[in-house]
Amino acid sequence: MTFARRNAHACLNGSLVSVALFALATPALAQEQLNALVWCDHTDAALIEPFEAANNVKVNLKTYEGTGAGLAILDQSRPGDWDVLVIDAIDVPRALDLDLLAPLPPEALPTTDLFPGVVMADSTTRDGVTYAVTEKFGYNTISYNKSKVDPEDMKDLSIIWSDKYAGRIALYDYYLPMIGLVAIGLGIPTADIALDDLPAIKEKLAAAKQASKLVGDVVSSQTALATGEVDILVGGGEWITAALAAENPDLDWVIPEQGAVRWAQSIGVLKDSTKQDLALKFVQYIVSPEGQARLATSSCYWGMPANSKAGDHLTAEQKAALRWDNQTDYLARAQLYPAPDAELDGAFQDAWIEMMQQ
Amino acid sequence: MGKRLSSLLSAGYLVILYGFIFLPVVVLVLFSFQDGSLPIPPFNGPSLRWYENIFADRHLTSALANSLFVALGSAMVACVLGFLAAYALARFRLPGSALQRGLLVAPMTVSYLIVALGLLTCFNALGIPLSLWTVGIGHVVINLPLCFAIIYASMGAHQKTIERAARDLGANELQVMLLVSAPMLLPSILAAFFLSVTFSWDEFVIAFLLSRFDVTLPVEIWNLLRSGLSPRTNAIGSLVFLISVVLLALLEFTVFRRSAKS
Amino acid sequence: MRQDAPIKIGASWRRRTSLRADSLERTERRIAWVLVGPALLWTLAFFVVPFVVMALVSFATRSGKELLFWSLSNYAQFFEKSYLFKGLTVSLEITFTVTLVSVLLAYPLAWIIAERVPKRWQRLALLLAVLPFWTSYVVRSYSWLLVLAKNGIINQALLGMGLIAEPLELASTRTATVIGFVHFFVMLLTLTIYSNLVQLAPNYKRAAADLGANGLQVLWHVVLPLTRPGIMVGAFLTFVLCIGDYITPQILGGNNELGLPQIIMLQLGRRADFPLAAALSIVLMLVVTLAYLACARWLKMDRL
Repeated sequence: MTFARRNAHACLNGSLVSVALFALATPALAQEQLNALVWCDHTDAALIEPFEAANNVKVNLKTYEGTGAGLAILDQSRPGDWDVLVIDAIDVPRALDLDLLAPLPPEALPTTDLFPGVVMADSTTRDGVTYAVTEKFGYNTISYNKSKVDPEDMKDLSIIWSDKYAGRIALYDYYLPMIGLVAIGLGIPTADIALDDLPAIKEKLAAAKQASKLVGDVVSSQTALATGEVDILVGGGEWITAALAAENPDLDWVIPEQGAVRWAQSIGVLKDSTKQDLALKFVQYIVSPEGQARLATSSCYWGMPANSKAGDHLTAEQKAALRWDNQTDYLARAQLYPAPDAELDGAFQDAWIEMMQQ
Repeated sequence: MGKRLSSLLSAGYLVILYGFIFLPVVVLVLFSFQDGSLPIPPFNGPSLRWYENIFADRHLTSALANSLFVALGSAMVACVLGFLAAYALARFRLPGSALQRGLLVAPMTVSYLIVALGLLTCFNALGIPLSLWTVGIGHVVINLPLCFAIIYASMGAHQKTIERAARDLGANELQVMLLVSAPMLLPSILAAFFLSVTFSWDEFVIAFLLSRFDVTLPVEIWNLLRSGLSPRTNAIGSLVFLISVVLLALLEFTVFRRSAKS
Repeated sequence: MRQDAPIKIGASWRRRTSLRADSLERTERRIAWVLVGPALLWTLAFFVVPFVVMALVSFATRSGKELLFWSLSNYAQFFEKSYLFKGLTVSLEITFTVTLVSVLLAYPLAWIIAERVPKRWQRLALLLAVLPFWTSYVVRSYSWLLVLAKNGIINQALLGMGLIAEPLELASTRTATVIGFVHFFVMLLTLTIYSNLVQLAPNYKRAAADLGANGLQVLWHVVLPLTRPGIMVGAFLTFVLCIGDYITPQILGGNNELGLPQIIMLQLGRRADFPLAAALSIVLMLVVTLAYLACARWLKMDRL
């Protein structure tokens, strides 16, 4: 064989291999697909696979952190690209203003089974129509390693910006609950934060940054706490410690006397989705007791399921890690995320990035 | 005495630097066998559970296949385009050839982030959906200058005489290019191909910004990192490393040895 | 021309041969354009045009889903908001440090492999020096985070040897970012400097040795000046790759300070502020161009 023919053969083989790999890489194109934009706790195979098997669909998941990021992704997509959206319950009105969500038939949702304080009808409904349903909740508060710090100190929110534990603190990288926590520490309810409060908040943020070792997302914060890089995580809660509890039982969390911030994530169907029925089925699966139990203990972070019936599907240890029985007390003492308008939100984000850059 | 001291110093420097270079890899591989759910000290006896875990993860296996597809495909396109362009610019007189050379090499001097951002802006504006194909396009953009530069730099005068001889013997341009020049340039074409595959295989920013659900391996690993601290990441990293080492060894004993001898 | 045609010297003959030469040149040129065309078109369509579009977008502002042209507000913001400008200074500081340290560490390594290691083992030695290239970049940075952690290998070793009393604060600092970068670029620079060193004509070194220079003097007075172009090319490559990198500072820096790429990604990811991201990218591009101009002498394209 001449050189040329050998090269031509090599080229042809190369192209065939590429095409074959391409075919492998996009399997089951005929199977129906559902595209969901979610927080990382939905990527657990134990949560998704039962639904896929039962309905013979493939669920494509893309994770994001922070409502701004999620809305940015939706903004850069075309209508019909996404079917299901997981979004902070407090931010559902923002999504409604952008006309993103489809109405959900109330009879399809187990609203009466949800914990009373968590239904959040103010956010998830508008004009009597339900657009999203709360699926999971927890607290952004103070997580700590109880063998390394004094638990009594953790009961005061001003620990965030004090330098008693300087260099041993990690800050969770999500500006909304963090600014909320600082505001609560200053005595400002999260619902009342205004532009005038920003200078005081920025000052405390700067002090917090001084005292901190790092600002990290979900995994960096978990890593730092687990490896002993830091002993305190501001913005952490059971969602950090419960998943690590088996490995390191010294990790604990508390809601300080001033209070803490409660996070609640909700799930809804996108208006432009071409698979409304399938998307609704997915939402129903997630809020069903079995789905809720799996979501509560999923791999990225744990949290309380919104559906109280999920308790029947959780083990006693899991419920203890989630502090199932203390929830009424916690719910009373925690405040919702700040829900700023566009201008205040921009100011918040600026303040946060400025803080990181110091 | 001076020679012995300098040999000792050289050996010492080699040891220190090799140690530095291999440190993260050793730790990576060691903790991929961790029998526990956190890849941090203390090391609990070797266990293969994380390797089982990643083989069962279909996201990872499809990401691996995607990476291979994008790397091989974009490297091939870049090599073909680069070879044709290098041949044209080295063998023919074209107006503005200096400008053309500069243009073809320009993407190499621009950060990948900028290439990715530019393509993302355009694709969004035109309504083109993101996919592995868009990633492939981006990877050809960054690999083409490399292929062109490598092949162009190796087109020397001594090859011109052989090509002239071929032309005198009656070959037309196409035949000269495919049957004479290409085989002579095979080492640099292969080097360009190999480098392009390597760059594309490990590239993150373009793959991250220009893909949606079907992602390449670096993006999938990034997603892994963002969904929980686990030795799975160590396992997949060690696996990729192992595959690459085996491939390199194969290449070393077949291609490089042969070209060194010839 | 047929061999047996009578050679006619005259204006008509000269016209016909020059016409034929012209048409030959024209077909040659057509072929050349066809050959170089695809590559040029690809670069134009997928590099130049997107770049120009991005440059144009940088002069717009975002309002809801619309883009409002024309405004310099993005660039104004860059100078007004200290955290944006600081991104540039942080990136520059880190990049200069990394380039300097990497070249200082890589050159001796490349030189030792080229000069001191027996020829048989040189390729193996080189391959070993760059082998970790083939662990995934993301995973490698993550590994460094675990190595440099408070209870990571380095601290445990130093504590065990009694060299330090308290664990060193290495992870999530600029030091960690620099270490992560240097690790990568030492490998890259070893490769480039080595290939430069072995291409040196041995006669220069032999001549210097004949004239009485010892090894070190040969290195300082002969080898170093001759390899300066190679070093500059490597340094430039390091500069460009380092200043535009997002992963290493993001994983190892602990968000304690943000470089320009991280700020660009933040604008994209959290605020969908394309125009501002585009403007910051143009600034990055300008910085790289300045670096290119500074090194332009050594980066000529004729023969790389």
